[in-house]
Amino acid sequence: MNALSRLIAFGRADHRYVYLGTSAIAAAGLLVSQQNPTPLSFLIHGGLVQDAMWAILWIWLVLSAAALVTKLMYGRAYAEKSPFAVKPGTPAAICLRYLSLFVAGITLIFIIDRIVLGTVALAQVSAAAESNPTGFLPSLIYMTARSGDLFLHGIGTTVGLATFGTIIAFFLSILFVFLRIQQFDLIDNDAVRFAKTVGRGFAKFYSTVVRGTPMMVQGALIFYAGYGVLLGLGLDTGQANEIWSAFTAGLVTISLNSTAYMMEVLRGGIESVDPGQAEAARSLGLSQWQAMRKVVFPQGVKNAIPALTNELIINMKDSSVLSIIGVFDLMYATTTVAGIYYRQMEVYCVAMVVYLVLTLVAGRLLEAFGRKLGAEATSTLLSSN
Amino acid sequence: MADATNTAVPGETVPTDVAAVGAPAGAADAGAPLIRVEGLHKTFGELEVLKGIDLTVMPGEVVTIIGASGSGKSTLLRCLNLLERPDAGHVWFRDQDLTAERCDVNALREHIGMVFQGFNLFNNMDVLDNCTLAPVTLKKMTKPEAEKVALEHLASVGLEQFAHANVGRLSGGQKQRVAIARALCMNPEIMLFDEPTSALDPEIVGEVLEVMRTLADGGMTMVVVTHEMDFARNVSDRVVFMDRGVICEEGSPEQIFGAPEHERTREFLARYLAS
Repeated sequence: MNALSRLIAFGRADHRYVYLGTSAIAAAGLLVSQQNPTPLSFLIHGGLVQDAMWAILWIWLVLSAAALVTKLMYGRAYAEKSPFAVKPGTPAAICLRYLSLFVAGITLIFIIDRIVLGTVALAQVSAAAESNPTGFLPSLIYMTARSGDLFLHGIGTTVGLATFGTIIAFFLSILFVFLRIQQFDLIDNDAVRFAKTVGRGFAKFYSTVVRGTPMMVQGALIFYAGYGVLLGLGLDTGQANEIWSAFTAGLVTISLNSTAYMMEVLRGGIESVDPGQAEAARSLGLSQWQAMRKVVFPQGVKNAIPALTNELIINMKDSSVLSIIGVFDLMYATTTVAGIYYRQMEVYCVAMVVYLVLTLVAGRLLEAFGRKLGAEATSTLLSSN
Repeated sequence: MADATNTAVPGETVPTDVAAVGAPAGAADAGAPLIRVEGLHKTFGELEVLKGIDLTVMPGEVVTIIGASGSGKSTLLRCLNLLERPDAGHVWFRDQDLTAERCDVNALREHIGMVFQGFNLFNNMDVLDNCTLAPVTLKKMTKPEAEKVALEHLASVGLEQFAHANVGRLSGGQKQRVAIARALCMNPEIMLFDEPTSALDPEIVGEVLEVMRTLADGGMTMVVVTHEMDFARNVSDRVVFMDRGVICEEGSPEQIFGAPEHERTREFLARYLAS
């Protein structure tokens, strides 16, 4: 929306380099128009309309060339002497502006006619082809169209794994970070001190191990370990497969893995809360736990929200390593399609673009979500003011 | 009342009278000190900040602690409610030793209000919630009861219209007044002030001192660490001068400001009163 209004404002203004800038557009339009018309093209080849459009583009280029010549002749005196130098606001300048916009419009029509519709036509032809075409783009479109179900299934799994994994990890990491940040209080007895030491040590150990090993290995270990446990319980392979599917193992892996990272993010957020906040709460008589729960923790989580939401994007990408245990995610789908057609470059390009779109969309959504959380806090205060 | 003390600079008798009036309110322990500090030592790493402090605060008394930066004033104050744990020595609140093993410090802190240099208002709550958090959490007061009390205290510091404001939108002086109201909501027996005006612009120091002065006139027991010499001189019953971790001199304001005995006290006051 903002970009659109800026574009409109740009079109409405007079510009110093109107000849140069519009010439570049006109040249681009002429270049595009040299492409062969496709079956969907609406401009009739050799027709009057297309010739008129060409003529206008050429006229602009000639006009600009003449202006350039006068600029070279007059140099600094160009503004006073050249007939092409127009003062902003004069009728001549307005004419020039509209002509410039007209040129841009013609170029846009050529782009739609040749490139946009050309691509659509190519897609139609490629998707309807009898066998895998040889060209890069036709082959890419052919395989994507034929394997759309596989890709969609993969995308669904990837999004599901990342989303649910991050949500589960968020709640687990809250539990873990509580263990991690426990400190002795004056009134704690030895049993409490022992429990706090054990909890803190466990959280620290967990974080070290999980963050210090690759998720791919963790996934394999969890998958086969869970499988082994089920077999050990006396289940047969079929039952074990049903309970402990690759997806379940993948979800467990990604949740446990992300928990360690989110715990550290939360810890950073909590530690960045001014110690005076806890001191003030303690000075009023609140216990360490009460001060943590009511004062420090809410502020720490709020500090950590931007970094926490980033975990979702990381999980979106990193879930790809879980294809090693057979989770049918986007990576697995891509590898499968590549295997079917024995064409790797094209399908991995598709995967690349899809991952990029997923992370960009997730990033935008999370940004809006984070803004809403922040805005909510201020808006309640505003409304009650 | 405040104006009276203001004008009565030479006499200095008014605050003492107020204290005398305030004392009978706690007639049962009229003779017993509210806070007694004995042989307090505190070390931060290599630095010995407190080198054996003895101090007594009687009910209704207003004690100001003055001294150069780094002399240990704030550390001493923070030891009084055990925000800093002393290395040696004792702090008694009434007859309970805060420094004793497994003393329920949390329960005792409910009776000891504290106001910080940096205000330390809870940033995740509005003004009213700042005031009601502790009463609701600790005293099992219902929320409406706590809010009623909080609004009274906010009114007494002149901020009841800001009850639902975000703490981030208050000025420094307003924040500190809210901090005082927040501490008062626990109905403390003593208030500790840790340089309450040091983080404020000079023109808004007055509004905070005015609230503290009213509090003192109402008979509240107060221990104030401050660089505001006028406050020390006009409001307090007793002035304690600290230097390099020891109490160098203590006495009535007339004595400390009028006829200081120690060379260090004289030097310090000369520097402060000149500027």
